[in-house]
Amino acid sequence: MISFTEVGFRYADATHPVFRDVSFELPEGDLCLVVGGTGSGKSTLLGAINALVPTFTGGTLSGRVRVAGRDTAQHRARDLADVVGYVGQDPVRGFVTDTVEDEIAYGMEQLGINPVAMRKRVEETLDLMGIAELRRRPLAELSGGQQQRVAIAAVLAAQPQVLVLDEPTSSLDPTAAQDVLAAIATLVHEVGLTVVLAEHRLERVMQAADSMIWLPGDGTAHHGRPAEILATASVQPPLAALAKSVGWQEVPLSVREARRTALAAGLLPAAPPEPLMPSGAPVLSARGVEVRFGDLTAVGGVDLELPPGSITTVLGRNGAGKSSLLWALQGALSCTGDIAVAGTDPRALDAFSARRLVTLVPQTATDLLYLPTVSAECAQADAESHAEPGTTAGLLAELGVSVPDDRDPRDLSEGQRLALVLAIQLAAGPAVLLLDEPTRGLDYRAKAELQRIVRRLAADGIACLISTHDVEFAAGLSQRTLLMADGEVIADGTTRELLISSPAYAPQMAKVFSPVPVLTVDDVVRGLP
Amino acid sequence: MVVAEGTASLITLHPWAWWCWAIGIGLALLGTTNPLLLILAATAMIAVVLLRRTAAAWARSVRAYLLLGLIVIGVRIVFQIVIGGASGETVLFVLPEIPLPAWAAGIRLGGPVTAEALMFTLYDALRLAAMLLCVGAANSLANPRQALRSVPAALYEASVAVVIALSLAPQLIESLLRVRRARRLRGDSRAGLRALGAVAIPVVADAIDRSLALASGMESRGFGRTRELPVRGSLILLLGSAMVATGGVFLLLSTRWWELALGLLGIGGIGAAWGLRLAGRRLSVTTYRPHPWTLRASLVALCGIGAAVVVWLGAATDPEAFAPTTDPLIWPQLTWPMLAVIALVLAPLPLTRQRPPAVVHSARNDTRVRSLRQFGNPAVEVEAGAP
Amino acid sequence: MTANGRLSLALAVALAIGVVAFTWPLFLRPESGMPPTLAPVMFALTLPIVLAVVLSELSSGHLDVKALAMLGVLAAIGTVLRPLGAGTAGLELVFFLMILAGRVFGAGFGFALGAITLFTSGLLTGGLGPWLPYQMLSAGFVGLFAGLLPRATGRAELAWLTGYGMVSAFVYGWLMDFSFWPFALGDGTQLSFDAAASPLENLHRFVLFNLATSMGWNLGRALTNAVAILLVGPALLRLLRRAARQSHFVTVAE
Repeated sequence: MISFTEVGFRYADATHPVFRDVSFELPEGDLCLVVGGTGSGKSTLLGAINALVPTFTGGTLSGRVRVAGRDTAQHRARDLADVVGYVGQDPVRGFVTDTVEDEIAYGMEQLGINPVAMRKRVEETLDLMGIAELRRRPLAELSGGQQQRVAIAAVLAAQPQVLVLDEPTSSLDPTAAQDVLAAIATLVHEVGLTVVLAEHRLERVMQAADSMIWLPGDGTAHHGRPAEILATASVQPPLAALAKSVGWQEVPLSVREARRTALAAGLLPAAPPEPLMPSGAPVLSARGVEVRFGDLTAVGGVDLELPPGSITTVLGRNGAGKSSLLWALQGALSCTGDIAVAGTDPRALDAFSARRLVTLVPQTATDLLYLPTVSAECAQADAESHAEPGTTAGLLAELGVSVPDDRDPRDLSEGQRLALVLAIQLAAGPAVLLLDEPTRGLDYRAKAELQRIVRRLAADGIACLISTHDVEFAAGLSQRTLLMADGEVIADGTTRELLISSPAYAPQMAKVFSPVPVLTVDDVVRGLP
Repeated sequence: MVVAEGTASLITLHPWAWWCWAIGIGLALLGTTNPLLLILAATAMIAVVLLRRTAAAWARSVRAYLLLGLIVIGVRIVFQIVIGGASGETVLFVLPEIPLPAWAAGIRLGGPVTAEALMFTLYDALRLAAMLLCVGAANSLANPRQALRSVPAALYEASVAVVIALSLAPQLIESLLRVRRARRLRGDSRAGLRALGAVAIPVVADAIDRSLALASGMESRGFGRTRELPVRGSLILLLGSAMVATGGVFLLLSTRWWELALGLLGIGGIGAAWGLRLAGRRLSVTTYRPHPWTLRASLVALCGIGAAVVVWLGAATDPEAFAPTTDPLIWPQLTWPMLAVIALVLAPLPLTRQRPPAVVHSARNDTRVRSLRQFGNPAVEVEAGAP
Repeated sequence: MTANGRLSLALAVALAIGVVAFTWPLFLRPESGMPPTLAPVMFALTLPIVLAVVLSELSSGHLDVKALAMLGVLAAIGTVLRPLGAGTAGLELVFFLMILAGRVFGAGFGFALGAITLFTSGLLTGGLGPWLPYQMLSAGFVGLFAGLLPRATGRAELAWLTGYGMVSAFVYGWLMDFSFWPFALGDGTQLSFDAAASPLENLHRFVLFNLATSMGWNLGRALTNAVAILLVGPALLRLLRRAARQSHFVTVAE
């Protein structure tokens, strides 16, 4: 169905080619997973299937790409719209109309399909994706998972044979991600589409994949069965890391497979020791924090105390109030209740002084960046925090992420941008650091970097509070976890007890080796003889 | 209110029908200065608007037009009092005269204010206000989104740009509020113009990135696929008709050959319409659930045109009634043809249905509503109804 | 005819018709028998046809999907900016964006942006009035001539743009006033339009009317444009040029 023959691609002003001599073939009806670190060319590969690359993005493409018998060199992306359905990284940005029904009909309008057939197909697509009750809703009102399903429905309405998805679950919480993946699996198994999917978080989608393409970033592509590719790839989901450290030949793709292999091999790690909880007088204490928007209560009566040098994560689904809580603790959102950071209430201070007590790195880090170069941003941060010139640049270097000085901040990768914003916010020397969903769009390596950075900051005495719905990230990092739902904290305890006792939030290692309370691969390795 | 306005609003009258009606009434009112007719017609239009408009935000604009009309009347009267020329005999009061020097064209401020001159201005201003109200009524009754979907195919791309702008504007506001909030995180509490750069740049950069993502999405879904090469000669036809029409208007204004001028205008109009049709034929985009043009729509449109015909015929046959003189002042009269015009203005009422109340869904998950509410924006009020 | 030729022809026709539409008071003769309040209405009916013709030619022939998306996005920004200044005399923030975009993307794009921004903001506020065709045409001209400014870089470019911003603010004001003049005054005042008088005398009256009423607004608009261009001009030009660079592409090579 899709075949790449000696494909090479280079952007117009780039020094290195993105691909060199890539060849593979995907049979019809396959679910193929494309994995690789950020910047390794996943989006470019997906765009080449659709002929967006090179006709839309520029650059030179050599070799041949054939999709459903058509050569993409002879066609533009719009000509392939009836064969390939492409859903980009942020579906909300691709919405053209206002309501769900109009969005689904839009693609068919462009193809000139007659109105009677259009109505029939809209109904069928709504049923197929399970969104029939949403048909009249405005798109802006839907949740993230619903929007993703609408975006998929919108390209399905043209009845393509191939579906290409670029990071469909990156910004979704686990339940919504599960819904989307289930819908995709239905499309592959019931409808018979060929699906090509690029993902960073592989834990849930690995088992459904029929084949995998790994892009190491040096221009080559490796195609094969997931179990074999993951054994050698640098992309290491927890199960692959487990297989590598324990020495299994093939990577188990699901928790059940891993558990059976572990039981068969007789692997039983010892329970890890209890981690040391930081103690000391709390540097942040909040009592009865309540955030209301009119009659909507976003955060209802939260009590929280953070000792210095602690790392705490807040878990919960989207809309549970995690962001609102963090903004309220910074003092940027009006709330009732008592908040004291190192004795003072940040809400009573002006922005500059509040920042020296508690800083927040928001979800969209780019909102904070507005200058043309990285060095300009660093200089501005120094000026804003009344710090020595060069503090921010020094912090950036200490964080260990290499960020070139003269680059436009918008051209940086996700991990580099996060490091830059972290350095800018840390220039004020705060006692408390709040991170709002920092793991979006980060690959495993960048997440490990972030864990290392946060541990270093905690060692320096800064209390860190991180909101996330990436369970593996939380498992490997924090000592204490809070669980939020509907604006309230429903559970507060050590990470170990909380994650292990909840089936929805248990990390994969815990499920593989239950009842042993291990959270990460490191726990397992240390616990083995 | 957060109301879905997609294809759900197809049970209402086609928006072009409302515009035809309103423009027809406007042309009708153009032909008369009888204040009784004007005031009655304006009241009738307001009645139709109040009884037939929806609860959407754009439907409340008729009030602004009413206000504008009153302001126009007020401004005209003030100007007439201050710098108007005096004509007629009934002097109401006399303002002190201040002659301006010669370089100011020898205008005399003040002077006697006569009733005839004031009435003349009032009639003229009333006419203008009533015509403005017609436009306001059309704005309140015709759904602009639906009107955009029924645009001729030659203007399809332009309408796409307008639709993108309409969909993006609320998201841009949300983006602006988010960036302003984020400024505080960076310790920046500057407000007003000094913060313009720091707030505007991220928003504009975000919007530009968005435009590329949007273009990529549209292209992947087949936008522009069915557009072929331009038809030969369509451009010449279009531009030529435009110039011919303008030439017609020019002649109408500056010479006595109004038959020739109207003829040119007619030719230009038809040529432009034909040219647009030709240009539109090279695009084969279909419309999902196109708004049907029903018999009622035709009837409503005809009411407007009919009103214009009645007034212009009446003004030709009975000029004193339709354009009462102000010098000497006489009481304006109401004749049967005028009552027919009022009836035609009210005619859409029996022809159209009362709008059903809009269904509002719960917006608990609406992040946009939340972020707007963080700044206590009272314009967004949501009922927490059942989801 | 080449694509560029078609574009230039369409824009030239728009310019010619616009000039006639705005300066009709100087052509109206008393022997034509048309009352002065009728003439703007005639134009208000013909101008939409002209605008439709020019916009259709511009958008379908010369704007690909990326330019169309950029047009929509910039029009959205302009629409959001417009009500921000309402209430303060002359604080109109919508023009500086048109000028900067016209400079970067060319005369055709500038014209389309001006027309579509004003149309969209009219749609959003429910204000599709008889003044709209005039506003769309004038704003289109602001964008159009911004694309025709001579080549310059750096501070010279900024100087050109600021100067153009101030001049165009006044010209826009005068153009709109010309169309608005008979409505405000009607017949019979000493500053009114008089069909029997010579064009020069009418011009004299118009200048006085303008001085009396809208000089403040025009001045405010000119100052807003100048300040906005000086403050955010360089950064915006950089952003727009970056987008323009990213939109250009090279065809497939074997």
